[in-house]
Amino acid sequence: MSLMSDNGAMNQMAPRHSNYVQRINMPLFRSGEIRIAALSGALLVAALAPRMACATLGEPEITVQSDVTQLRASIKSSEDRVGYRVHEIQLPGSTLLREFVAPNGNVFAVAWNGPTKPNLRQALGKYFDTYASAPRAKFVDRRHMNIQQGDLIVQGSGHMRVLSGRAYLASALPNGFNLGDLH
Amino acid sequence: MAFMRVSRMGLGVAALCLSAISCGGGGGGASTTPPPPPPPGPAANTASVIVDQGPASVGSVNTLYTTVTVCVPGSTTSCQTIDHIQVDTGSYGLRLLAPVLTLTLPVETLSSGGSLVECTQFVDGYSWGPVALADVQIAGETAKSVPVQAIGDSRFTSVPSQCSGTGGTQEDTVATFGANGILGVGPFQTDCGDCDTVAENLYYACATTCAETMVPLAMQVPNPVTLFAADNNGIIIDLPTAAPAGAATLSGSLIFGIDTQSDNQSGTQTVLTVDGNAELSMTYNGQTLANSFIDSGSNGIYFADSSISTCTTAGFTTFYCPANTLNLGLSIQGANGVMVNNLIFSVGNAETMLNNNPTFNVFPELGGTLPAGNTGSFDYGLAFFYGKRVAVAVEGSKTSVGTGPYIAF
Repeated sequence: MSLMSDNGAMNQMAPRHSNYVQRINMPLFRSGEIRIAALSGALLVAALAPRMACATLGEPEITVQSDVTQLRASIKSSEDRVGYRVHEIQLPGSTLLREFVAPNGNVFAVAWNGPTKPNLRQALGKYFDTYASAPRAKFVDRRHMNIQQGDLIVQGSGHMRVLSGRAYLASALPNGFNLGDLH
Repeated sequence: MAFMRVSRMGLGVAALCLSAISCGGGGGGASTTPPPPPPPGPAANTASVIVDQGPASVGSVNTLYTTVTVCVPGSTTSCQTIDHIQVDTGSYGLRLLAPVLTLTLPVETLSSGGSLVECTQFVDGYSWGPVALADVQIAGETAKSVPVQAIGDSRFTSVPSQCSGTGGTQEDTVATFGANGILGVGPFQTDCGDCDTVAENLYYACATTCAETMVPLAMQVPNPVTLFAADNNGIIIDLPTAAPAGAATLSGSLIFGIDTQSDNQSGTQTVLTVDGNAELSMTYNGQTLANSFIDSGSNGIYFADSSISTCTTAGFTTFYCPANTLNLGLSIQGANGVMVNNLIFSVGNAETMLNNNPTFNVFPELGGTLPAGNTGSFDYGLAFFYGKRVAVAVEGSKTSVGTGPYIAF
């Protein structure tokens, strides 16, 4: 129930969907279990919640679905890896957005790759303003981005038609997480 | 302001006019004496390029610029010559910063009736502006009614949240963009690829509001070279060697066409075809980096190597600052399997080189970091082109040594 307590509107829905709630609150990291079903349940709850927070980075896993809805996207795959879970979201265009969920159930990172960037206002949630107001580096060439503002790190590289990047909360990385896997 | 800068470049522009194009802009009184014969200048398919500080207040490093003339379609008098247009093999299309554009170019209209406006996206920001038509002249080459983007055009100031939400800097001014415009001459024909069938959050139809849209291919922003009447299968960038410590400026040539004239013949260079992302495979430090690219629009040599010290001063921390200049090896493999082995490149101390020579804009040994594992990428920027003659052939076009998309050097 801890997940639900993060959102007042959700609490009202909890009794009717307690089975789904229970499933999403189960330990995340069972051997090789794909959690699309659990997420779908969460999505149903999310869809029924009228004013659910539109946020993702630093927010509970359930907000992955608000991203999917807001971005008019679809979840392409959900995969449990050792120590974390990844939801791969296909945006309406060709761009892929991946959201990384820590064992505590919160999104600790997002990464993207494609001809355009995702709507980072949606994907970064409350961290977007921090990102947007970060001072610009010297000698910019429109090919690189490496922003560190407190706990928030936003990085990118690429060129026209292929842009990739990632944003993560340094303090929220699961123990032993390899940044090389964040793409 | 733009004209001030243009006039300061008077010599180069005049040479261009004499050698090749009918510079418009009007205002000049009719001459009663015949003009003197033009001095021997660059060939009609050759534009001068320079690495310098960029337009006022920009302070660029390793950024290659040329001069472009645009005219209202069909007009020979409503024309403007604009200097400091960045030459970029990592993008596609001519984009002009509206604040320096004195012409009113007609905006493309979709069959739905909406105006076509583009949200051009870069790694660190976006540029918003309509797609307008212009006759484009560079050196002696001309293309009629080319879709070009007018970035920051005052006719379309309201940026949709779906565009601004992609984040980063709104690069709609010369200062934020770093150039008066950009000439994207990479190996593809257009700036999107599939925007005729997919709304990629790139193109918008704007009436009272703007909505993402698909766009017929012919209305998309193309690599303008592909629309030249001749010499339209690619480009060659020919730059002299730069001193290791750098230089204030470096001048060379942007040659249009490959194997179309006596001055753009292919020789014995290596031809590396690029993949569907215009990328190559590079091997550095034992790691094969499949998403690598050679890019005149990158201002450094960008790669990940945690063993090299990064700079510590604020603003420099993403650049490398080794105690001594490092000579490093790199192999490059084309999509066609052709290998270039053990290319040596050097990375110096960025803070030292920039602080020791604050008036320099050419730094062949400027190395920058890429996030580890982010892309499996090595981004070899403009420094790759120093001391080389590099050809970029457009997709689908044939030369005597291959079919584009390829890069050859």
